[in-house]
Amino acid sequence: MAIKLYKELKLESPDMVCGWPGIGRIGIVAADYLRRVISAEEVGEIEPWDFFEPRKVAIQDGLLKELEFPSNKFYYQRFGSKDLLLFIGEEQPAQGIGLYAVGEKAYRMANLVLDVAEKFGVRRIYTSGAAVAQIHHSLKPKVWAVPNNEDMLDEMRGLKNIFLMSQIEGRQGQSAITGLNGLLLGVAKKRNMEAVCLMGEIPYYLQASPWPYTKASISVLEALANILGLEIDLMPLEEMARKMDSGIDTFLNNLYVAEAIPEQIRNKIRESIERLKLDNESLGPITEEDQKRIMEQIDEFFKRGESGSDRAS
Amino acid sequence: MTGPVRVYSRPDLENASLIVGWLEDVGKVGPRVIEYLKTHISAKMFCEIEPEKFFPLDGVAVIDDVAQFPMSKFFVGGEDGLALFESNQPLNERYKFLNDVLDVGQYYCKIKELYTIGGIISPIAHTSPRRLLSVFNQSEFHDQLRGFELEDMAWEGSPAINSFLLWAAQQRNIPGLSLWPEVTFYLAAVGDPKAAKSALSFFNRRFDLGLDFTALDSEIEAQDDKLATLRRENPEIDKYMRTLEVGLSLNEDEQLKLAQGVAEFLEKDRT
Repeated sequence: MAIKLYKELKLESPDMVCGWPGIGRIGIVAADYLRRVISAEEVGEIEPWDFFEPRKVAIQDGLLKELEFPSNKFYYQRFGSKDLLLFIGEEQPAQGIGLYAVGEKAYRMANLVLDVAEKFGVRRIYTSGAAVAQIHHSLKPKVWAVPNNEDMLDEMRGLKNIFLMSQIEGRQGQSAITGLNGLLLGVAKKRNMEAVCLMGEIPYYLQASPWPYTKASISVLEALANILGLEIDLMPLEEMARKMDSGIDTFLNNLYVAEAIPEQIRNKIRESIERLKLDNESLGPITEEDQKRIMEQIDEFFKRGESGSDRAS
Repeated sequence: MTGPVRVYSRPDLENASLIVGWLEDVGKVGPRVIEYLKTHISAKMFCEIEPEKFFPLDGVAVIDDVAQFPMSKFFVGGEDGLALFESNQPLNERYKFLNDVLDVGQYYCKIKELYTIGGIISPIAHTSPRRLLSVFNQSEFHDQLRGFELEDMAWEGSPAINSFLLWAAQQRNIPGLSLWPEVTFYLAAVGDPKAAKSALSFFNRRFDLGLDFTALDSEIEAQDDKLATLRRENPEIDKYMRTLEVGLSLNEDEQLKLAQGVAEFLEKDRT
């Protein structure tokens, strides 16, 4: 298990943006888009074999040519007057069949990322992920911010479209962040390093969807650009988000008329989702029981869709 | 040692005393006492217990808008060498964890005594003095500390982590004392600086620390002033507090109303 850095860098108090897959692929899409848009250069990696199972093998003429593991790479770019490091992991080091980082491996991975951050004198670390919320997909997702240090609260409080947990209805400042996004915040806190997790809202009814929720990645990137003082062209992502919106509309319209779901439940689902368009807090949240029932039906619908695709291919 | 312990420097101590406080404590007594001691004896961190065996590492909790993470750190400071341990309470492998604490205490600090601090909820008014209840793990140590205005505790039931640690120290023949300062029940969630002062006063006398209590006294005075304002503004709260002050008890509903009223008022004032 090792960190491999391909070159020595002399950086001026860089910030580090980290991204991994998670709900709606919000964090990794944001980090990877930033990497591409600033043309960040690959400068190192964490060797993956201690953390991940291989996911692809290449055998030619009876010879094993290559075994491919999920990558975990560091990138660098000076953007404007700012040195920026990125860390992008294609998977979270999970245990068993879980998708999210947990346990000793995850802790080791978080420490390795922070070893590199410390080596380069990183000023602050940004992670990002999803905030599952009662929001309609046609509305702009807010960004929930959780810093690992009280000193950052005032800074976050004043930023456009960024909300602390105490500003989110029904949260009273409390929550939990699972996976590497949370763990990195915690381990950074242990090392007295500043870190903040920016979570883009995703409608609860899309949390199990296999599609990336680009709209939330855009909100996260806008928040990052605002904090870091960067200008990022988001047009290509916005175009992608428009297409996604249309795809989600089609999916929901199909769901609302799906004969496999009893009419009464279909109506309940439609009513619960459509009322979110009003963005009116006076409507009050739907009950947990209703949300669970809706999610069960939507999960089932997603599964049917996936198996249908398999057959078509 | 049984667990991962990270040592940053080796303290030069002989016959030190180790004081242990837990971050999750009634009336925030443990962390308040350790923080106060750390500041006033200029204690430096020298070692920590790594969390992966003792805490579930599946993310972080967010409390008051800020991400939390378990910590278990040792500090040393003071002219005669005082070791402090401040930690979250472990959720897994508690016996191993407590033995790691004692291992560090014995190998690096050569401890001769162990002290633990933990608040204990009491149905008293905040204007009442706080008793300092005590549990020893050796009768000789108990005899030695007579005259320190400690009151013997009696309890049968589920053990707190302090009792577990005291027992583990007993197995190693380390004299130990658990201090349990009384915490006014309606200050259990928001913090009871008077309770912290009662424990600190004991340590001040026991180790001749010459602690300056100005900052803590100001905190106590500020809290008393706020509660006096609340009493003036809210006759029901005042009635409950008066009932406690004359030695009578409140029923469950009244206790709940008082605790909620105080917590909401102090929280509103804080923000």
